[in-house]
Amino acid sequence: MSAADTVNLSSVLLSGGQVALVLAGAPLLVGLMRQVRARLDGREGAGIWQPWRDLRKLLRKTRIAPEGTGPAFRVAPLLAVACTAMAAAVVPLISTRTGLGPGADLIAVVALLTLAAAALALAGLDTGTAFGGMGASREMTITALAEPTILMAVFALGTRVGSTNLPQIVTAGVQHGGRLASPASLLAAFALGVVVLAETGRLPVDNPATHLELTMVHEAMVLEYAGPDLALVELGAAMRLTVLLGLWASLFAPWGIATATGPAALALGLGVLVGKLALLAVLLAAGEVFMAKLRLFRVPELLAGSFLLSVLAVTASFFLT
Amino acid sequence: MNLVGSALAVAAGSAGGAALAAVVLPTRLRVVAVGALNALMGAAGALAGGAALAGESFAAHLPVLLPLAGVYVGVDALSGLFMAVAGAVVLAAGVYQIGYARHAGGGRGAQALWPLFAFSLLLVPAAASVSTLLVAWELMAASSLLLVVSGHRGGGDSVRSAGVWYAVMTHLGLVAILTGLVWLAAAAHSETFAGITASAPGLSPLVRGGVFVLVLIGFGSKAGVVPLHAWLPRAHPEAPSHVSALMSAAMVNLGVYGLVRVGLDLLGGGARWWWLTVLILGALMAVYGILQAAVTSDLKRLLAYSTVENLGLVLLGVGAAGAFHDSGHDELAALALAAALLHTVTHAAFKTLLFLSAGSVLHATGTRDLDELGGLRTRMPVTSGLFALGALGAAALPGGAGFPSEWLLLQSLIHGLAVPGITVVVVLPIAVGAVALSAGLAVATFVKAVGTGFLAKPRTQAAEQAHEAPVSMLVGMGMAALVCAGLALLPGAAGAALRRVVAGSLPGSGAAVTGGVAGRLSALGSTLSPLWVVAGTLALVLVLRGLLRMVARAPSRAAVLWDCGAPPPTARMQYTATSFAEPLQRVFDEVLAPESDLDVTPHAESAYLVERVAYSRAVPDRIEHRLYNPVIHTVRRAGMTARALANGSVHRYLGYGFTAVVLLLVVLAAAQ
Amino acid sequence: MNGDAELLDLAAGAFLLAAVGVLWRRDLTAQTSLLAVQGFALAAIAVILGADQAHPELYAVAAGVGLLRGAVLPALMRRAVAARATDRETRPLMNVGASLLSAAVLVLLAYAVSQPLVRLLGTASARALPMGLAVALIGLLILVTRRKALSQITGFLLLDNGITAIAFLAAAGVPLLVELGVSFDLLLAVLVLRVLTTRMRALFGDTDLDDLRELHD
Repeated sequence: MSAADTVNLSSVLLSGGQVALVLAGAPLLVGLMRQVRARLDGREGAGIWQPWRDLRKLLRKTRIAPEGTGPAFRVAPLLAVACTAMAAAVVPLISTRTGLGPGADLIAVVALLTLAAAALALAGLDTGTAFGGMGASREMTITALAEPTILMAVFALGTRVGSTNLPQIVTAGVQHGGRLASPASLLAAFALGVVVLAETGRLPVDNPATHLELTMVHEAMVLEYAGPDLALVELGAAMRLTVLLGLWASLFAPWGIATATGPAALALGLGVLVGKLALLAVLLAAGEVFMAKLRLFRVPELLAGSFLLSVLAVTASFFLT
Repeated sequence: MNLVGSALAVAAGSAGGAALAAVVLPTRLRVVAVGALNALMGAAGALAGGAALAGESFAAHLPVLLPLAGVYVGVDALSGLFMAVAGAVVLAAGVYQIGYARHAGGGRGAQALWPLFAFSLLLVPAAASVSTLLVAWELMAASSLLLVVSGHRGGGDSVRSAGVWYAVMTHLGLVAILTGLVWLAAAAHSETFAGITASAPGLSPLVRGGVFVLVLIGFGSKAGVVPLHAWLPRAHPEAPSHVSALMSAAMVNLGVYGLVRVGLDLLGGGARWWWLTVLILGALMAVYGILQAAVTSDLKRLLAYSTVENLGLVLLGVGAAGAFHDSGHDELAALALAAALLHTVTHAAFKTLLFLSAGSVLHATGTRDLDELGGLRTRMPVTSGLFALGALGAAALPGGAGFPSEWLLLQSLIHGLAVPGITVVVVLPIAVGAVALSAGLAVATFVKAVGTGFLAKPRTQAAEQAHEAPVSMLVGMGMAALVCAGLALLPGAAGAALRRVVAGSLPGSGAAVTGGVAGRLSALGSTLSPLWVVAGTLALVLVLRGLLRMVARAPSRAAVLWDCGAPPPTARMQYTATSFAEPLQRVFDEVLAPESDLDVTPHAESAYLVERVAYSRAVPDRIEHRLYNPVIHTVRRAGMTARALANGSVHRYLGYGFTAVVLLLVVLAAAQ
Repeated sequence: MNGDAELLDLAAGAFLLAAVGVLWRRDLTAQTSLLAVQGFALAAIAVILGADQAHPELYAVAAGVGLLRGAVLPALMRRAVAARATDRETRPLMNVGASLLSAAVLVLLAYAVSQPLVRLLGTASARALPMGLAVALIGLLILVTRRKALSQITGFLLLDNGITAIAFLAAAGVPLLVELGVSFDLLLAVLVLRVLTTRMRALFGDTDLDDLRELHD
């Protein structure tokens, strides 16, 4: 365990700050991606503030309770956002000294995000429609198959540090930058990158912009939501994307993350984080322009491939050091 | 006689009392009296186990009870752990039984057998000699077999076949254990565990290896090791639910207990291949078990396969512990063993809850097919909530009982890469992959179970007319739920007890080892801090809810579901458990080899109009089909051939006996 | 030296990744491009070894390898693909997911069996040796599980690339003459197979190898 590991006030505040940042910034990130995509498609685009305008509009609407749905349907969006926010609180995005520092375990973060997905899947089933069930079933299949890759990549990253504690992994990355260029790290980065795409429902696994029943995964699952609940679901999805991209950036490009608590370091960490996320978002959006969605039953192949890469990462981390 | 001894005596007394009460009391009084005495036995067993975990030990020799050797009873921390688990399960199931017995398993015979079965579960870990263990084991096997067969009234073919499978498998297992342990006792010239431990290091590797393989087969078949698991998904669902809970949450654990006791304690660890075998078998069980669970739509069968999965994880941990111990990394070994044992405890907690809730569902609807359930959350809210809590544990998500123990297991595997040796390095990534895949599939499986069984709309009349379970059943389930919640939030509290168990059962583990385990286990409290994660998430839910109330002030309104413009969706249009699992079934097509049958009947007037489409799908246990059916077939053919020997003539039968005696005498004479 | 070792790791990693990519993609055109990448990675390995061990003749070998395996053979393959109607491996004998998982096991196996050799040699280049073995095993896997004649050639080329890499890494380079001879054989083999597939297509309309079984009857 790293020194002290005390949960003090400043670190709790820092965690709160990260949550607020992700909460406020996630729709902007989605807006940025849509804007880039629109420009590359030759459209004008609605501007990066559009997702926030949509959320505002949705929040003002009447709450709708679809017939025959129960508490699971109503609590799921709250739980999904809360789990994602909790993950945002513990992942070292700006600084390695976040609130639950000693509790910031990579496996726990993955489990929290899985819990968020499972809650929405249950809500999808609770509606009792074919759409909800279809989306839930597909989403859970993808989640189940993505899990091995994640844990194997965790295995590759954790072995080197001797812990799955996120601040420790990130701190080691900041201190020994050279290690990040090692084959193990590159392979793990690629494997986790594929999984991030799968877990956030981006192309080529799912198309966030489609509303055709045969192609939908996530959107089918949340079809019955409307008004403020839909706003929460959308916000949750955007936050999930932000947290996972942020996690990926912290693991494989940790430069600039504050390891001290001084205001200058924190400001730097904040600026670098925003820059990294924006860069990733632009790259992702640009890449999606050239990509088509995979058939659902080709997705397991993609995930098996990323699993193979993470196995290679483990072997490389062991044999090539 | 100390606390352990007195509590065990109380347990024995109440077991006898319960069995007696079941036989003599009138029906009305009987159910309550038996239930209360069973609960008392469970409480006493848990107390005995708890006292042993707290550091007390107990040993006794009762020469009169068993001819020749007498009964040796000895309770140390390891026994205490399994005894405490069994006692707690018996307590919850005992209370539950009061309400449940009116539905199933309430006959005089079944009620009298249940306490015996429950007591045998306490007795097996308390046995301190080979003969005592074997007698307790056989008592457990026989009583549980009779309870399975007692089944539901009019259970029919499936109960009968489950009984046959269970009888054959459990007795083959017993033969393996008997051979192994008797061989060990003969080679060690001692029958008591203390004597065997003393002389085990001097035995030849052949004897040790042979004994271990036999014991692995025997205890493994009880723990559901693939491919010896075939009885488990048959017997567990067919038994009445309070029996299933006992079998799935307490009895299978004793397979693990036997393996740890004989392999690590009596034989003092062994060659690396022993433990790598255990580890690989565990990984195989975990993946195969959860895969079958993911595609089945029978609620109790799903739970039974999930038992195979979880015991697989436990054995994986035990195997890793043995392998680490063999390479001299005692601290890691202790960590892996602690993880395995913690998972045994958490699995027992959530599986008791799940089986008891499944029993309530069966009690309320008469079916355990998820495709026929649905909408239970409004009709039986408490049961639904409790099942969801158990499912959270089984899916190993934060807030669930299974999460801390799986986390600890992964920790031990990740740190295991520090152990030199190619086999370990090759096997560990595969093990981590297996754990991860089973964790992912477990989430899908239990989302399916909760989502299609308890949420949505009722799919049949039976589900629509479901009603909440009686209070006694809810109390029994509530006890299990409390333990689940406790383990999920404060797993660190089990640290001291686990440390004692591990220190006692890993041979040659000194103070340094237990110190290391202590550090890691206290880290389970602080590093992972599931309490904080759960508290933080719940707090965020409340905050968000408040914010949402403030922002979205418009009142809520009901609306119809989106029906694509067609007439309103009916309950038949919902996704069922089968359809939910279809993508997974397709992905794992080559492993599962499902049999599906599509029958399209065209309209009489035109071949292009479809009148009826019949689709049926079954996912048979492939290992069972491939491995067992040829054997069964051969045996059956041999039986048919042998039929010619028996033509009904009494003289002929007497003649066989006479010939056999004469032949034996001839052989004896020749041998002299 | 250390920098060289890291470069070597990266080159060997790219070499292995290209093989994984061939296994992953069904698209024959993409497979061909990956083969080209692999050829260049192999040449890069030779260059790094040459620089590291001061064997200038390895540069010549590298140039030859790069030209043949990075450019000529893929170009031949590409022409063969372009001449065909279907350019996908549609029905492999083992599905892609399963073959990827098998590849994971094969890589672990390659690492496990080559450990004694790695320890014996103890050089930086020897540590990358399991990657060559893994590529050879993946090539064999493709030979066993794919149906199309062109996929068979791909598997064969992977196998050969793997063997060449092992030779480079273990013995610090094959003698120039031997390498040239092997490469020439390879070229010949590809040409023969190319002619064969053209004939097969002319006769049967497809190059699915399972159709050849009928010739046996």
